Amino acid sequence: MKISFLIHNAYGIGGTITTTFNLAAALAERHEVEIVSVLRHREHPNLTPHPGVRLRALVDLRREKDHPLHGRPAKVFPTAEYRHHQYSELTDQRIAECLADIDADVVIGTRPGLNVHLALQAPEHVVRVGQEHLTLDNHPPALRAALRRAYRRLDVLTTVTEADAGSYRRKMRLPGVRVEALPNSVPDPTLPTADGTAKVVVAAGRLVPVKRFDLIIEAFARVAAEHPDWQLRIYGKGEEQDRLRALIESLGLWNNVFLMGAAIPMEAEWVKGSIGVAASNFEPFGMTLVEAMRCGLPFVSTDCPYGPGEIIKDGEDGRLVPVGDSAAFATALLDLVRDDERRRRMGEAAVANAHRFAPGPVVAHAERLFQDAIEARSGGRHGTPEHGGIQHTLVSRGHAARDLARAAASNALRTVRKGRR
Amino acid sequence: MNTAPRTHCSVDADGRITFRLRPPTATHPRLLLVLRPKKGRPEETTRTLDLEPHGDEGEFRAVLEALPRLAEGRWDTYLLPGPDAGRERLRPGPRDLRALVDGGSREWPSPVAVRVPYTTKDGFLAIRTWLRTAHTEAGPVEIADGTMTVRARLHGAELSEGAQAVLRLRGTKDTLHGVPVRPAGDGGFAFTVACEDLVASDSRIWDVFLRPAADAPLTRVGRLLDDVADRKAVFVYPRVTAGGSAVRPYYTVDNDLAVEVTALG
Repeated sequence: MKISFLIHNAYGIGGTITTTFNLAAALAERHEVEIVSVLRHREHPNLTPHPGVRLRALVDLRREKDHPLHGRPAKVFPTAEYRHHQYSELTDQRIAECLADIDADVVIGTRPGLNVHLALQAPEHVVRVGQEHLTLDNHPPALRAALRRAYRRLDVLTTVTEADAGSYRRKMRLPGVRVEALPNSVPDPTLPTADGTAKVVVAAGRLVPVKRFDLIIEAFARVAAEHPDWQLRIYGKGEEQDRLRALIESLGLWNNVFLMGAAIPMEAEWVKGSIGVAASNFEPFGMTLVEAMRCGLPFVSTDCPYGPGEIIKDGEDGRLVPVGDSAAFATALLDLVRDDERRRRMGEAAVANAHRFAPGPVVAHAERLFQDAIEARSGGRHGTPEHGGIQHTLVSRGHAARDLARAAASNALRTVRKGRR
Repeated sequence: MNTAPRTHCSVDADGRITFRLRPPTATHPRLLLVLRPKKGRPEETTRTLDLEPHGDEGEFRAVLEALPRLAEGRWDTYLLPGPDAGRERLRPGPRDLRALVDGGSREWPSPVAVRVPYTTKDGFLAIRTWLRTAHTEAGPVEIADGTMTVRARLHGAELSEGAQAVLRLRGTKDTLHGVPVRPAGDGGFAFTVACEDLVASDSRIWDVFLRPAADAPLTRVGRLLDDVADRKAVFVYPRVTAGGSAVRPYYTVDNDLAVEVTALG
């Protein structure tokens, strides 16, 4: 197969970029694979693409950020998409040209706005796979309304969790579109797994409020009080940096909690620890959980929507604790800090259980999906026959009407607010 | 564009480093370490290692033994692909430094030699090294009631009667402020500095030393014995206001302990 990924910016940092590089690399073992980056702002990507994966960019911001068309708002890329402000008539045009000329059997969009481009502009013979790395329920109503119209023209829509796939099936009427969960894959570790002896707890992610690093730090205060030789290392950077630093100071934790800066890739940092932690309020998937578990770390996470509960088996390879409860988080963490044997055993279980997210199983699944879609399209039909009947139609129509009403209401509200300014 | 392959390296607790890479062409590849000279000075100190084929996937391996020791500084790493090809700076692959993480809890003999592979700001593989006859490793720093208390441990020398922690005003030879040390747990010791004793009308920086015995030379207090090559932005301590100045202990770009005094207003 010839497979093209369409991604926002392959030169940045983030879960979607990592997982796209991983999947592309694994597919490149047997297929012709390219990654098309809509934007580019630097010479080298942070991650090295697999030598068999071609990487190209459509708009090079180093040269073209002042292009007259780049100053005009995008029309194809939906207005309600989170990154609409980074798109323009120039990206509209370049993406359209790219898709018109594309020499691929399968094109994979990696975010809602790009999936819309794909749905509307991919040539007839090309299989259109939309990937959702975020979740339907967290999309604003206006975006849901835009996607509901466009996504009907996809062949396959993949989500990263079963829970989110369920939402799409229930709340969107997408006749003939195959909706399926395809989890992110994490490459096989190249370093020996952690042995559970290090007195180091590791967290990683962008330092943004939704990740609740503040809650991890608060919980760690109890660990440090009982076990002053343990440390918490937080990898990542972001807007919360100063606030987290102030919290560390106010709790007197500067000898135990460290903001390490960004580390890419994280593997060599995970293996220095013996427990991985995350306290997000919301986590569409949870790449860091899988990465850490594949490195041999049991993982303590909040049981937030959607990913963690589908990754961690509570009590077997990690712990799931209620969202926003730092006391419960500290208790679960302390249980593992105190018990060397339990930590070691759960670390071993983590390696075994997280193997289902290895590129092998995930890629085999993706290949099946793409192959089925190619056959379905050449046979003149979409991914799957429609099912669900009248009841499903009524339910999804109800969701559609609500989203339209909410979108209209929030537009009206915005207009009113603007008027007041 | 740099075509040098990513280089995997792992470090043992004794400082032995194993490098693994797949050179694109391999007639007789070698690995070159160059001690970064002062600005404008020529490169003088280098070390060359043979890369030996390892396994059957085109991988080569070089081992930098713990001895002989490397001089203190920053060593840049290069691939020498063959007799007729120029050197290429190496890019880092995974750096397995887990054996270094708890280095502060071990006993280090003299001379204290430390090697930490790290990634330079421009994205290349380098090795940070320290080589000191004796070294005082700083541990936890407590900051309370206008004082700071540093727990530390001396490696490569014995602590004797009359040992003192000494703060020396940067830029001077003999503006010193000495405080007594007292034994603390784990074979270590502690000392306490009153922040207001460091304050003057201007801003200044004090470097922190230990005098292990009454007439012994000063050894630097720093934090070198783990996996963190650049500590300055990671180990960050709070400010204390004293005598119209903000006082804050910090680690220098060389991971040595210092105290910054900033006159306020």
